[in-house]
Amino acid sequence: MDEFLQKMTERDYKEGFVTEVEQEYVPKGLDENIIRTISAIKGEPGWLLDFRLDAFRKWLTMKEPHWGHLNLPPIDYQDIIYYAAPRKDSDRPKEIDPALMETFDKLGIPLNEREMLAGVAVDAVFDSVSVTTTFRKTLAEKGIIFCSFSEAVREHPDLVRRYLASVVPVGDNFFAALNSAVFSDGSFCYIPKGVKCPMELSSYFRINAAGTGQFERTLIIADEGSQLSYMEGCTAPMRDENQLHAAVVEIIVEKDADVRYSTVQNWYPGDAQGRGGILNLVTKRGICRGEGAHLSWTQVETGSAITWKYPSTILKGDNSSSEFYSVALTNNRQMADTGTKMIHIGRNTRSRIVSKGISAGHSENSYRGLVMVNPGAVGARNRSQCDSLLIGSDCGAHTFPVIRNSCPSSTVEHEATTSKISEDQLFYCRQRGISEEDAVALIVGGYAREVLSRLPMEFAVEARKLLSVSLEGAVG
Amino acid sequence: MDNCTMDNELQTDNELQMNRVFLIGRDEIPRKVRLDSGDTLSWTLVFLPCAGADVKVDLDVNLCGPGSSLDLAGIYICPTDEKLSLNIKVKHSAEDCSSSQLFKGLAGGCSRAVFDGLILVEHGAQRTKAVQESHSILLSERAVAEVHPQLEIYADDVECSHGATTGFLNEEEEFYMRSRGIPEAEAKRLQTISFLAPVLARLPENLRNEIISKC
Repeated sequence: MDEFLQKMTERDYKEGFVTEVEQEYVPKGLDENIIRTISAIKGEPGWLLDFRLDAFRKWLTMKEPHWGHLNLPPIDYQDIIYYAAPRKDSDRPKEIDPALMETFDKLGIPLNEREMLAGVAVDAVFDSVSVTTTFRKTLAEKGIIFCSFSEAVREHPDLVRRYLASVVPVGDNFFAALNSAVFSDGSFCYIPKGVKCPMELSSYFRINAAGTGQFERTLIIADEGSQLSYMEGCTAPMRDENQLHAAVVEIIVEKDADVRYSTVQNWYPGDAQGRGGILNLVTKRGICRGEGAHLSWTQVETGSAITWKYPSTILKGDNSSSEFYSVALTNNRQMADTGTKMIHIGRNTRSRIVSKGISAGHSENSYRGLVMVNPGAVGARNRSQCDSLLIGSDCGAHTFPVIRNSCPSSTVEHEATTSKISEDQLFYCRQRGISEEDAVALIVGGYAREVLSRLPMEFAVEARKLLSVSLEGAVG
Repeated sequence: MDNCTMDNELQTDNELQMNRVFLIGRDEIPRKVRLDSGDTLSWTLVFLPCAGADVKVDLDVNLCGPGSSLDLAGIYICPTDEKLSLNIKVKHSAEDCSSSQLFKGLAGGCSRAVFDGLILVEHGAQRTKAVQESHSILLSERAVAEVHPQLEIYADDVECSHGATTGFLNEEEEFYMRSRGIPEAEAKRLQTISFLAPVLARLPENLRNEIISKC
């Protein structure tokens, strides 16, 4: 059994290639001049530069958070390149570099609209810039704005200015402040009143250049009565050094709007000895501003050396609701500290948390969450369920929930269990002619089904594959 | 089994009382307890209403001997402005140990009840069974109940779970009783008693009656 486990934990990371493409960088390091340079390259208005500088000054006074159940390696913030972009050919400035086209093709994200999966619009971000956004015309007919963040700043400055940092304030936390100072590109999305988005929108993030960090910023606004399903995917090359990824995602959900945000995170996790890998330090937060608003988070976390991520919802509008569905898988030396925050402010607000952790190898997997019910949240209801599955005797699975209830008419329930794949279950499958690996995939798939079934179809297939690949060889 | 009494002589006794009821604020509760092979510890912690109280209980139980077991329960009633903080750490260091915890409490007035419970299963503590439950009921607008039920697990052959709830007295149950002629106050009292019953059953009769009379 042990040998089998050993074998199964060895995995291939097929997205680990590097694209040879000419890139331009800003010099290494971080100071006000670098921020001015980034802002100038992007041709930003003055208010945005001031926003960045203000964030940078706040960041200087802040300390790196170490409360996570993680071994965060020391990060030298002066040893990172904060902006890297593929050089544009002056001959054909309109077209996409074929090398980049090929990269995204290889990753299964064709940028050519004819080849696209019908019904999914993609914003592809390569290092610090957005390469292209597909289906923009189709979406524009409905009044939907879907473009890169830089374009949004140029074309819709009023919207950006009104909503930027309205959910995640500049000084919210160390990494959010860093992101606010140096963010490069990301996606911007606005769904007007009463519009149901006709296709899935998605962002695909790719880190390519060595020694860089990726600091994307995503802003999603769903106006009254609108509907949107948003997906996010990410990969990076295999390298021996850690690379930093500090993103901020803000979602604003107005009255009766419905937003589903799904993530399949597959950053490079480092090798079996724990060398290299992405440090994924992300702040994601949404606010249900209006009555009856709904925000649903679904995440499948399989990559990254370190994951520090707590997609949260502020339930401000009466009768608004939110869900958090998560599968986090760690293997080898990966460490994940992830969970959610549900803050109940409005009356009759509801939230539901389902977190499934799977740890294998020498990894550490933690759920950390907060459910807070404010005194005015009359009739609020929360139900959380956090399960952990341990594969092998050298890994750790932890649960750190905090429940703070100050409303006597609300109900909060939390439940957590920890268990392993039993020999009996495996034996049962083996007896019926299912190979050990398939049996493990079957059991893990069944364990995570509640979450996977929430993903949009294209993603669900990928996530299922990812789970079985990531676990290749991990059970006992 | 007179170890359930609140006799002061018992605290001076160095020998660990394996089966005991402690009154928080009156009895001295050991901060650190070590359980050796085959030990079975069964303790119940009780916090009775006491206006103005600000109490913190730290209890650290380490199951070091294979096959040892812990059975811990607690009850707290905070009707006015009590501040109670229960900080319970159960560490499993050996194989084949089991632990169970059950805490029930009421928070009214502007009281604040915090339950901070950690189950830590060390590497190699295989075949551990650990259960932790904490339930609280909020009786007023200004009361706060805070729960941190934590699990830290470094072994794979374990069965660990925790459950935590905070809520209010069920209105349907109350309606059922009132429709059968039971007055509102009495119905609420019955509900409260039934909520606390699993822990009340562990207490000596005189203490149990005292708590019931205060509900």
